[in-house]
This record gives sequence, structure tokens and C-alpha cells, in this order.
Amino acid sequence: MKRLRSGLSLALILLAITSPLAAQDPQVKIPELAPDVALRPFFLVTGQRPAASETFEAVFGQTVQPFFGGGVQLAFSNGLYADVAISRFSKSGERAFLDDGEGFGLGIPLKATIMPIEATAGFRFGAEWSSVVIPYIGAGVSSYKYTESSDFAEPGDDISLRGTGYLVVGGAEFRLHRWVVASADVQFTHVGGILGDGGLSELTGEDDLGGVAARFRVIIGR
Amino acid sequence: MIRFRHVPELKLWPTFGLFVIALLLLDTHGLGQTSPPRARIIQRSGLPAIDRGVMAKDSREPGRRQSRAMQALQSDTRQVDRLGSAGARYLPGRVIVKFRGAMTAAGRLRAVREASRSGVVVARQPQVNFDEVRMDPGEDAEVVARLLSRRSDVEYAQPAYRVQLRFVPNDTSYAQLQWNFRAIDLERGWDIQKGATSDIVVAVLDTGVALRDDSIKFRGFAFTLNGLNYPALGIVDIPFARALDLAVAGPAGDSRFVKPFDFIWDDSDPFDLHGHGTHVSGTVGQLTDNNLGVAGIAFNAKLMPVKVVSTEWDDIFGSPNEGSDESVAEGIRYAADNGAKILNMSIGRTGGARSAPVVEEAIRYAIGKGCFIAIAGGNGFDDGNELEVYAEIASRIDGAVSVAATDRNRRRASYSTTGSWVELAAPGGSTQGFGNAGLVYQQTYDFTLTDTFKLQPAAFKPPRFDGLALVGYDGTSMATPHVAGLAALLMKQGITKPAAIEAALKHFATDLGASGRDNEFGFGEISARATLRGLGLAK
Repeated sequence: MKRLRSGLSLALILLAITSPLAAQDPQVKIPELAPDVALRPFFLVTGQRPAASETFEAVFGQTVQPFFGGGVQLAFSNGLYADVAISRFSKSGERAFLDDGEGFGLGIPLKATIMPIEATAGFRFGAEWSSVVIPYIGAGVSSYKYTESSDFAEPGDDISLRGTGYLVVGGAEFRLHRWVVASADVQFTHVGGILGDGGLSELTGEDDLGGVAARFRVIIGR
Repeated sequence: MIRFRHVPELKLWPTFGLFVIALLLLDTHGLGQTSPPRARIIQRSGLPAIDRGVMAKDSREPGRRQSRAMQALQSDTRQVDRLGSAGARYLPGRVIVKFRGAMTAAGRLRAVREASRSGVVVARQPQVNFDEVRMDPGEDAEVVARLLSRRSDVEYAQPAYRVQLRFVPNDTSYAQLQWNFRAIDLERGWDIQKGATSDIVVAVLDTGVALRDDSIKFRGFAFTLNGLNYPALGIVDIPFARALDLAVAGPAGDSRFVKPFDFIWDDSDPFDLHGHGTHVSGTVGQLTDNNLGVAGIAFNAKLMPVKVVSTEWDDIFGSPNEGSDESVAEGIRYAADNGAKILNMSIGRTGGARSAPVVEEAIRYAIGKGCFIAIAGGNGFDDGNELEVYAEIASRIDGAVSVAATDRNRRRASYSTTGSWVELAAPGGSTQGFGNAGLVYQQTYDFTLTDTFKLQPAAFKPPRFDGLALVGYDGTSMATPHVAGLAALLMKQGITKPAAIEAALKHFATDLGASGRDNEFGFGEISARATLRGLGLAK
């Protein structure tokens, strides 16, 4: 019952922050009543192939890494948008050594956590509220918090670093329902200042914590 | 049980045969005579070793290490440690607090709640005088501890900082004698990889090993040494003893040695007639944490003694073969074919580069079969610093390394050969500036019982190989098994390819001397903990 009340409350909030045309048929255009801006929360799942693929593969045994998160988007009726997203990657692997491109796991557990905060601004093409498919492009800045801890660590061995970079993104939104939009895009991110100065990344010469990501979002709102 | 190790084939008729045997028994001929009968009889009836203590002039009562390593449970399900402001790791969701005076449970909880929104005081263990606060792991335990510490009713509060393992062997002379293991950060390395396991076989190509308690009947020939003529000993029973800090008595100890072989006497009983091989084997894998003697690096690994070098007593007793490139090549191939994964070669010779193709081919063969090889860099710096042939081969092949020697102060040991072939360094010991405390100690023969050929001819007598002591040696021979032992740990830890082991040892070596690779230390002195721990993504 408590959970149901919470769900209803969330739905009411979402209704309140989205367009007053929410109850209208999406095929019926009433431009004079269209809002200038809509605040749209979203959930985010990302599969990222890190630029430091050799480094990641040595530790985790695979190159594509999942991020989960969410954010909020300001979508303007003139097509401009801005969003802020926060996501998280956390995975356990093992410390390793690389020789001649071949990785050797050393069986020592390692846990890495990446928490990107990304601010993006861009343009949604043909962004009438009623459109079923809306392509979009954007660019922005990223701030990544990276922590790495492993067994047998002593003071100074585990690290927590922050690096910044930029991103570009392009994709499309697909309206699934009056209040639900799915989006798929490809995002390229470059984040410096974390990798490349030590560990396997120094060995491989990989200094970019970013990469190419396929992102899938579920956006609530119009 | 008595058996002949090597019996010359007699093709004469029986009467003449008996006559020859009688002559053999009475023979007093010296070395170098034509066709000396080379036979030895092993009587499986030896007595255990005589413990001769530590062979050092400044010997003191062995110190005994009281502290023992704490074992930490590792589990995938435990919370990940938090990193404190000073870099120390602590368990999340816990704070240790000691309240002043006798506070009620309600009072303690009130105090805790003023510092932590979720903190609760758990029931105190009867043996302690402090309380444990449990709270949401998301709360910062250092902050909560700081807030609690400021209270007048709190004596102290601190996070539950993670305690690290420190494996310190309890071998009675470890703390006193084995500076060399601490020099390569081995204690912390053992925390990660404790001595390898029995599936890792390290072959020691050397003078053999103190294999077992036994008595061997040899025939000692006359010889000349330093211009002095020594009489023939005739047929003598020579007692041998097993180095009990290498392998325990009985069948359990027998299994420590895997497929031993003797290329000097052509059989599978590589008895050490010198002590060098036993010493080297000890550094590789002396039994450890057994309240006895000193420690070894890969103390759970199996050892394969392969005798490829002959020394004085092999010559005096007329061994059928002598140590040469041939016996070394045979030994390398034998070890590779019989399951060894690490080969220690604390042996070498000087000469021209590429003058031992038979050895080079054997080394390449062994590496091709997955063996890593450590080779001594040479002790000839003061004797012309000539090129070391085997070490030079190692420098050209990935998967084999040449090893220089360092002293207690991490300087190049004065004797350690320098050259372009030097790849790594390890403690080889030196008395210069340190006296006997600068040597590398292991259990081997008491040389006052074995080196009787150094006595005047009138005092010359048969040797005994049943007196064992902790003896200090120095040399790149002593440095090399540090590398082989660490390679054994590393192979167990997961780096299985010889070339990758070499790359890891070099990558994590502590750079000494000139920056980068140099001719004195190569890439530097090996570092056990760093090498075994490997690399994370960013550090």
C-alpha cells in the first residue's frame, strides 16, 4: 500500500512538471498552448566500450562495460535541449599484468567504480511534442569520479581520482506512449587525467577513461 | 639396501676379474690415471644430520620472532573498504569508541546518535573495554569518529582501520640472518602468494642436493692441489645426511624432490659433494614457518635437483663425467622434459659470446616448453670482468634472465660482474662493510667437515656430508635463486608465460644505479610484493 502511494505520488509529480497538454491526443496540435519548456526525467542504461579497451579487458575480461543512471532534461519547444545525467559503473575484476598484448590475471580482487556526471546541450530536430521520432545531437562536458580499490592494498595504494572531458552525442527519441519516450544514441566521450599515469593504462599507453557508448534512455514526459 | 651406482663392464674371465677387483681395492693411484674405475656404492643406512649451527664468526643466539601473521578472511560478499583521509583503509559502517566512566546504554546511544544518524551501539564483548558502533555503511566513519572524539564523555573514537597481513616466518634464524628476503619485500609478497604450491617444480641445476641420509662407498684417488700431493683414500664410506630444512625425514620428505638426476654420476641420486647446490636450493625453497633454521622463497614448491657441475670431491672420487656445456645442456633439457617450470642456474663460465650454442639451444628448448630460467650474472668483476657466456645468452632470450648481486645496502656487490647482459639484480650478499652479517644464509654442509682437501696432506681425511649448518655464502649464485623463487611465486599467482615473467620482474624491479637499465643492476633489484600484486587500471 505504501509502495502504491509512493507510485501515485511520483506520477502526480511527473504530471505536474510536464506539459499541460498531457491529456491531449498527440496527433492534435494546439501550438498556442504548447509549453516553452518541459522538464523530463529519464533513466539511463549505457554500454560503453572504453577507449582504454586493452586495460579494461585485462582486469575485467571484457571490453563493453555497463553504466546505469538517470538524469533530467530541459526540452524547449524550439528544439534546444539541455540535460544533466549521472550514472555509475561498478565492477569487480582482478589485478593483472600485460605482456606483448597478452593479459595475465593475478587473482587479486579489484573493484573499480566510475561515476560520470555529464551535462549536455543540443538540438532535437522537429521537436514538436507530437512527433513520434525525434533525432537529436548534442555536446557537453563530463566529469568522471574514478575509484579503484583492491585487496592487499596499503595506504596510498587505493585511489580516488576525478577527471574532466568532453562528449558528443547523436541519436533519436521514439515516442512509445503519450508520456513515455525511449531514446537510443551513440555518445563519444573523452576523459583525461585519470588513466595513463600508472597501472595497466600506463603500460598500454591508454590515457582516456571515456569511450564510445551506446545509450538507451527511458524519458518520462513529452 | 646396497646397490652399485656405476659398475664398469668386466669382460675378462672370472679369475682375472677377481684379480682386478682385488687390485681395485688396494689401488692407490691418483687422479688422471688411465681408465680409473669409477664406482660408488650407496648404502641406504645413513644417520640423520648433525646440526652444526650457524657458520658465522659473529654468531649469536638465534632470535625468535614472536609475532605471527594475521590471517584475513577474503570474501566476495564483504563490503568494500573505505579509503580514509590519510590513505588508510577502514571497514565501512563501523566505529570503535571508548566512553569515559560508566555510561548507561541509553547515554551511549544518545551520544552516538548525535554523531551518526544511523549509529547503534552493539553489545560489548566481555573481554574489551570499548564499544563498537554499527551504522549505515554510507556514513563516513572517519567523520563520525571525529565528532565522537570531540565529546567530553568519549576517551577515543576511531574507524575500524583494516589490518594488513604480515607473514613473518617463525624459522628460528630468519629474523636474525635473512636480511635478503626483507630487501626484496618478500614478507609482503608472501602475504599475497605464500610459497607457491606443489604443482610448481623448480629445477636447481647445480652440484646436487643434500638428498637423504645415506652412506656411500667411494674410492678416493690421490691428487695434487696447489703443488701438494695428497694420498689416495682408497675405499671409504662417506656419510651423507638430508638437509632437513629442505625436506623432512622419510617418504614425506622424499616427495619434495621431483625426478632428481645426476649428470655427473649418470644416475638419479644427485648427492651434493660440495654444498653449493644445497645452499641454492634452500634460497629457492627451504621449508619455512617450521620453527627451524631459515626460510626459503617458494617453500611449498617442489624441487628438482639436477646435478650438472662436478666439484673437488667428484673429481677425487673419479666421477664418470665432469661439469661442462654438455652436462648443462643435458640438465636443461632433462628439467624441461620432466615437468620443471622454473630453472635455476647458479652456474656459468666465461668466454666468448655465442660460444655455447649447445647451451643456448637447450635454453631455447626449455623456454619453448614453458620454463622460465634464471642464470647467474657472474662473480668476476675483480678478475677482469669477463663476459659470462650463459648470462649473455639469457640477455638475448625472452624468458631467461641474468642476475647480478646486491649487498645489504643495495649497492652492487663488489664481485658482481657488470655488462650489457645484466638484466636484474637480487641480494647476493657481501662481507664488505657488513662482515658475516652481509652474507646470504641457508642450510648446507659444514664446510669444515667437507673441505678436508684444504688441509695439509698429513691431516687429509675423508669428508663427511652429514654435518649441516646455516652457512653464509655470497655470490651471484646466491642472488639467482631469489629470482627463481620469486618466479615460482609469480607463476603460481597467474603469470605462466616465461617471457611475461621476465617482463613483470623487470617492470616491477626497483631501479638502482643509473636511471633505467644499466650494466650494474640491469633493470634493478627484484621486488616481490609489487610484482606479485600486479597492476590495476590506474595504479
